[in-house]
Parts: sequence; structure tokens; C-alpha cells
Amino acid sequence: MSQLRHNPFLHCACLFGVGVLLQLLIGDLDNRFFAHPRGMILAFNYLYLLILAYIFEDKIPIFRQLRLGNTATAALSSMVIIIVLFGLIRQDGNTAGVVGVLGFTRMTSSWPFNLLLFYFLTTLGLATIHNWHHLRHQKVASLLAHSAVFIALTAAWFGSGDKVRVKITTWLDQPVYKGLTADGREYELPFAVTLQRFSMEEYPPKLYIYDIDNKRLSRDFLASEERVGIVDDWELRITQHLSEAGCMPNDSIYRTMRHVGTMPALYVVARNVASGRSVEGWVSCGSHLFLAASLDLDNNRQLVMPAPEPKYYLSQITVTDAENVSRRFDVAVNRPAKFGAWQIYQVGYDTSRGRWSTSSVLECVRDGWYPIVHTALWLILAAGVAMFITAGGRTFKKQSARKEAES
Amino acid sequence: MMWQHFIWFATAAVICWAIGAIIAYRSNRLSPVLIPFGLGSAIFMAFIIGLWISLERPPLRTMGETRLWYSFFLSVAGIMVYARWRYRWILSFSTLLSAVFIGVNLLKPEIHSKTLMPALQSAWFVPHVIVYMFSYALLGAATLFVIYLWLRPKQRIPTDEELGVCDNLVRIGWAFLTLGMIMGALWAKQAWGDYWTWDPKETWAAATWLSYLLYLHLRRQQNDHRTAFALIIISFILLQMCWYGINFLPAAQGLSVHSY
Repeated sequence: MSQLRHNPFLHCACLFGVGVLLQLLIGDLDNRFFAHPRGMILAFNYLYLLILAYIFEDKIPIFRQLRLGNTATAALSSMVIIIVLFGLIRQDGNTAGVVGVLGFTRMTSSWPFNLLLFYFLTTLGLATIHNWHHLRHQKVASLLAHSAVFIALTAAWFGSGDKVRVKITTWLDQPVYKGLTADGREYELPFAVTLQRFSMEEYPPKLYIYDIDNKRLSRDFLASEERVGIVDDWELRITQHLSEAGCMPNDSIYRTMRHVGTMPALYVVARNVASGRSVEGWVSCGSHLFLAASLDLDNNRQLVMPAPEPKYYLSQITVTDAENVSRRFDVAVNRPAKFGAWQIYQVGYDTSRGRWSTSSVLECVRDGWYPIVHTALWLILAAGVAMFITAGGRTFKKQSARKEAES
Repeated sequence: MMWQHFIWFATAAVICWAIGAIIAYRSNRLSPVLIPFGLGSAIFMAFIIGLWISLERPPLRTMGETRLWYSFFLSVAGIMVYARWRYRWILSFSTLLSAVFIGVNLLKPEIHSKTLMPALQSAWFVPHVIVYMFSYALLGAATLFVIYLWLRPKQRIPTDEELGVCDNLVRIGWAFLTLGMIMGALWAKQAWGDYWTWDPKETWAAATWLSYLLYLHLRRQQNDHRTAFALIIISFILLQMCWYGINFLPAAQGLSVHSY
């Protein structure tokens, strides 16, 4: 009975049960509970209690047991099982049905997940303290990996309440200082963002054959820079390529224009390889100002040009704070702007206008704990490198024999 | 270099790998094996480089393109294991598995377009995917080894040295898995504003990473090779889910930002 009570796998099963019960009684775990300063205070107290638990582990056996190998195995097993469980269930936040009521559709706010993560974090924390206490017997890679993963998870967990993500839609020359959070709440930013210019570079257009009956595009396509090619059973030849074209109302000819809303247009001669029948005409994706054009190949197939894919897009913005201090930034995907504690990301644009978009969707993110997580991530990276360098040595059996001999 | 040239490069590479694998059974020296096998890998890499140049972007975007790297790294993992531990069978196994992935690519060719969406235009793109593919190849080799140990005739109990090979393959594979995952997290912060969002791909990546970590911890606790072997196979199934399984998983449809 005593052995059963001290079985870490049983602890994990109990935690899961308690989690389910809490989920039913209280509902979702709201990570706003960890909002500043509560997250910081709890994190410091948690670290203090972990050290205390380690100091008194000889007097209270459960604390010692928490850092032992079989507890780590149980904690890791339960994490794998619960993550696989959440991976198999659609994470769409649905609250209906059994899985919805039990919170299995909302991983990060689920009690069972958070309790098991906390258990894992605690075993990892105690093992890390032990490793540092017995530094001489440790391998660098293992010490680094345990410490860095513990720092990253602690900062991520206790800092989850301080993470703010606000999506804003900016319009040319109009300052915006309010946006929406992921859960649809309005959020007032401590600065205003003004879009000065939006620009976009596009890939050359592609031609596809559209099956009208099955509402499906062909798998193959002809890239406009290739000029000639075969798609399905049609040989396509591009005889005119206009990069910035438009077509006047009641007209069927596309001409090069210097005008807002221009788009690519291709004059194509299409010949059916089997029958030899030819058709020709203009094909264009159209824009918010000009009509699209497709070429009828037969009764149920058309040659079409989907809107060109974006290669690169950039928002030139001005950010102005409460003291009326302004700074200009260029924001692109993978190139966020940093303004104080905030980072501003390029998210989207008005896709109906494409490169002529007059609006840009940006996301302002504040995560006060990220510097700690960032440092920990680089440490884990270093641990991975150290592990690779030091791998290929002794087997586990030999290591454990050595440890036994040492003890 | 166009996709239609692939069959010629792949055939030449597989022939070289097969010659190396056969010589491994007939010679005790390393260089007669290393030369043809390495030549096969070099021929395969030449195609990848050629495709890279013709596409004007790294061929790492689509599933078919990652399969190319997987075939290549399987051969690299095979020759590394052979050079280090002289297991003759590993070269035949890695050749066979590489040939399977080449076959899949030939039967189900991708449409290779030059398009590279803005999110993928990052310095992290190439190292993130290559490191992951190398890790997958090493962990694939570990799985093959475990299957061999399990299914070999007479049900022999694996020796310490054989278990050591498993441990080292998983250790190195896990180290690269960690590098790939952390590079992905750093890149995600730069591209999307958060380093981890429990997107379906990330969820299965975490399950895979933790499962191999469980193996590494379990091997310190006990010497029951059956549990350890089962864990390597389960972990490899999780890895397949992370790599391409989520494309078929109803729970993940339309939720992942990792769809290219």
C-alpha cells in the first residue's frame, strides 16, 4: 500500500483526475491570473519553495522522491500522453460536448494539462537544483539542458499572464491606438500607429486550367516567365505579357496603364494537343478596379490566372507615444519593429486589393518575460550542441555502474 | 537542373549506395565502402544543389523536397554509423529506406514552383529544416536498428554494445531534434510574435521531443530492452505524425500555420 502511495505514476493519474474535477467545478484556468505582479511574486515564491524542498528532502521523503529518476519517467510519460491526447483532439476552443466540457479543446487553459505541466516543472526544478549542488559529477550538456529547459518553462508558465497580443488594422495616414486581443477584447495601446505607405512585390502570375464542373484548379500550371508549356492536354503559348495592365469598361483588350489597380494580363494562344483545336485571348486575375478575364477552352474548362502570390510586403509606419515622440519603422514579415517593450509584426493586408492595399494588418506584442525565455532558448541550443559533441561515449549501463561505484 | 533529371541522379546514387553496401559485406576495410557510398551521396547532393539553383530558393518548402533531404541524410547517417561501429547491415537498410523515399518522390512528384512565401524568407529556414531532416534520418536509423535487433533470428538478447548504438543514435538524433525545435521557436518569435503557440505541428513536435527524452531517462533507470525498443518505435510514430501525419489528421485540419 505504501509502495502504491509513493508511485509517481499514481501521482500523475491523481493529478489528472483532480484536474478534470477542477475543470468541471471551476472551468478554464484563466492565465490572466498570472498577470503582473502576481506572476512575478508566485514565480519567486515557487523558486524559494523548491530550494526549501530540496534542503529538507532528507526530513521529508516525498521531496526527495520528486527529483528521482522514476518520478522524471512518470512526469515525462504523463506529459507525452496528455500532449498526444490534446494533439488528437481539435483545439478550436469548442465548449460543447464531453471533450469541450472537460476542457480538452483548450490545451493551455486546461486544468489537467497545467497540473501535469506543473508536476513536470517541479521534478525538473528539483533535479536541476540537485545537479548544481553536485556540480562535479555532472556532464555539461545535461546540466545545461536541465537548467535551460527549467528556466524557459518557468518563465513561460508564470509569464503567460503578461503576454499581450493586439491586432490592429491601420489605414493610410490614420493614427490607430486601439486593437483587438485574440479573445476579441478591445485593447488600448500606449502609442498610436500610423501607416505611411504599404508596398508589395509579387511573384510572376501563373496560368491554371479550371474545371468548372468539379470546381478545381489543375495541378500543373504555366509560370508566365516560361512563356510556353503544356498544362493537362493543352499547349499554352504566351504571346503578350503586360505587368501593369487594365481594361476599360465594355472593352475586351488589355493595355499597359499607369493607374491604381493595374494588374498582370497575358495574351495566350492555347492549342489542344489531342485535337489540334486552338483558342486565344486575354487572361487576367483582375483587381478591385478592373475585371478579371478567363479563356474558355471547352464547355467545362477555362484558362484562369489566380491573383499573383506575394513575394514581399512592407509597411512603413510611424509610432507616436503619449509624450508625442514619434519614430518611423519599416515592418515586414520576419522583420518586426521594436518600440519600447512592444514589438510590432506585419500580419496581413487587404487581400482584395493586393499590392494596391491601402490598409495593413499589424500585431503589437508585449511579453515582459521573453528576454528570460530568449536567453533560455539559446542555452537549450547550446545544450543541444554540447550533447552532440559529447555523444558517442559511454553507454548508460557503464555510466550507471560508474555512479554506483562512486556512491 | 529540373525535376525530370531526378530519376537519373537518383538511380546513379542508389547504384553507388548498393555497391557500397555489398562491399561492406565482403571487405573489412573502410575506404572501399566509403568511396562508392560517399559518391552516391555526393551525386544525390549534386541534384539537390542543382534544384536549389534552378528554383532560386532552397528546396525545403514542400513535403517532396523534405523527402529529398531525408533520403540524402539517411545515406549520411548510414555511413556515419558504419564508419563508427562497422555494422554492415546499416548500409543496406539506409539504402533501402532512401530508395523507398526516392520511389515515393518519383511516384508522387511535387510541383516545384519558385514561390517562397514571405514567412519562409528567413535566415532560420535552411538550418531549421536541414537540422530536423538530419535528426529524422538518425532517429530513423535508430528505429531500423531496433527492428533489426527485435526481429533477428534466434531472439538473441541485445548486447551492451548494441544497446549503446541505440543510445548514441537517439542521443545525437535528439540533440539535433532539440536544435531544430529551438531554431523553430526563435524563428516563430521573429515571424509570428510568439515562440510557442501549441499549433498542431508544435504539439506533435513537443510530444516527439518528450518521448525521445523519456527514452533517454528510461535507459538510465532500467535495462529492460523491450520497453526501450517499444519507446523508440512509439517515438518514431510520433515523429511521423509531426512530419506529415498532421496533414491527414482531422483534428489538425485548417488549424496549423505550418502549411506550405
